[in-house]
Amino acid sequence: MITKDVSVSNKLGLHTRPSALLVKTATKYRSELMIIKDGMEINGKSIMGVMMLAAEFNSLITLQADGVDEEYLMNDLLELFETKFGEE
Amino acid sequence: MKNYTIRNLLEFKEDDLLLSLVSDEKTLDNPINFAHLNRPGLALAGFLDRFSYDRIQVLGETEVIYLQSLSEDELYEKIKDIYSYSIPCLIVSKGLTLPYIAVDLANNMNIAILSSRLSTIKLYNGLSRYLNNYFASEKTIHGTLVDVFGAGVLLTGKSGIGKSECALDLVTRGHGIVTDDTVTIKVLDDALVGMPPQKFGHFMEIRGVGIINIEKMFGIQRVRFNHNIELQIELMPWKDNFDYERLGLVSNWVEHLGVNIPVINLPVSPGKNVSVIIEVAVMNYILKKNGYHAAEDYAKILQEEIKRKTKV
Repeated sequence: MITKDVSVSNKLGLHTRPSALLVKTATKYRSELMIIKDGMEINGKSIMGVMMLAAEFNSLITLQADGVDEEYLMNDLLELFETKFGEE
Repeated sequence: MKNYTIRNLLEFKEDDLLLSLVSDEKTLDNPINFAHLNRPGLALAGFLDRFSYDRIQVLGETEVIYLQSLSEDELYEKIKDIYSYSIPCLIVSKGLTLPYIAVDLANNMNIAILSSRLSTIKLYNGLSRYLNNYFASEKTIHGTLVDVFGAGVLLTGKSGIGKSECALDLVTRGHGIVTDDTVTIKVLDDALVGMPPQKFGHFMEIRGVGIINIEKMFGIQRVRFNHNIELQIELMPWKDNFDYERLGLVSNWVEHLGVNIPVINLPVSPGKNVSVIIEVAVMNYILKKNGYHAAEDYAKILQEEIKRKTKV
């Protein structure tokens, strides 16, 4: 299992489009993904869960990948956060 | 283009236009090529620019009285001008009689004249409805058409995916079926209407059981003879890498005969209750049609919440 803390890098936060992008990326892998924020722990492959976090700009969230391809999953996710989901 | 003649028009009895032939029988085989009608008032008065001569010409009381008021020579000239365009036919409403010169000349020039006992407006509307339906573009496709909460839903997908079983499930849940396996689609007033290709009744094949009769089994209230098609649901086997719509913020469309309707790609897998999902998809569609968009509403709430937190 790999755990990484990331901060939400895009100004608009995890609204619908980035949330959908995150979930779409996560479902490509076999590993499980949990996202933890403010004591809420949700499944990273569930769109409603991810949106429920309402993660705002600069807030910290914890990504937890667990499974055979956890490294690839984590790298892909980190890249999403680095590139601000293609937003500002 | 279908071959349609005066004879076909006279044989039409379902929504009776009370038509009878005034001209000679040899005019019965004159073709009608367009669904549109024309009132030739201005053409009769001599204004022949833009005369829609290829349409059926409907004469009401005003036109007939005008023709009757003319001298024989004037009448002959005006009528001859009109006939020389080889119009498909003249129809006179209210059972009115044309001056004999007009009929005589029609026979000589092989122009059909019909008479109807209906009022002009009833004749015009009835004829227009009937001809538009007859000349409507149509095609027949593989699919099942059901009426779910009043919205016509076209179920498509590969053979064996479970369209019939799904329709059957919807019927037992109180919805209606229009046709199974094959649907004839027509465009009427810019909307799609679906119906069975043949009037054989509402039979259906269920694999393992054979042919069943929906009307005998579930009653007349579960069957429809035609229905508007508002939504298409494509049933497809679950694919891991297929990009299914998750939020519903993006609408997909499919085109039939130049008309676009929304389409939903619905993954089916064993044990999944597809008919419940179809009911939900239709209710969501009806809500959207009436101005409530759940995905947009949710997106808005989420955005506001993120904004509120950002400010803090």
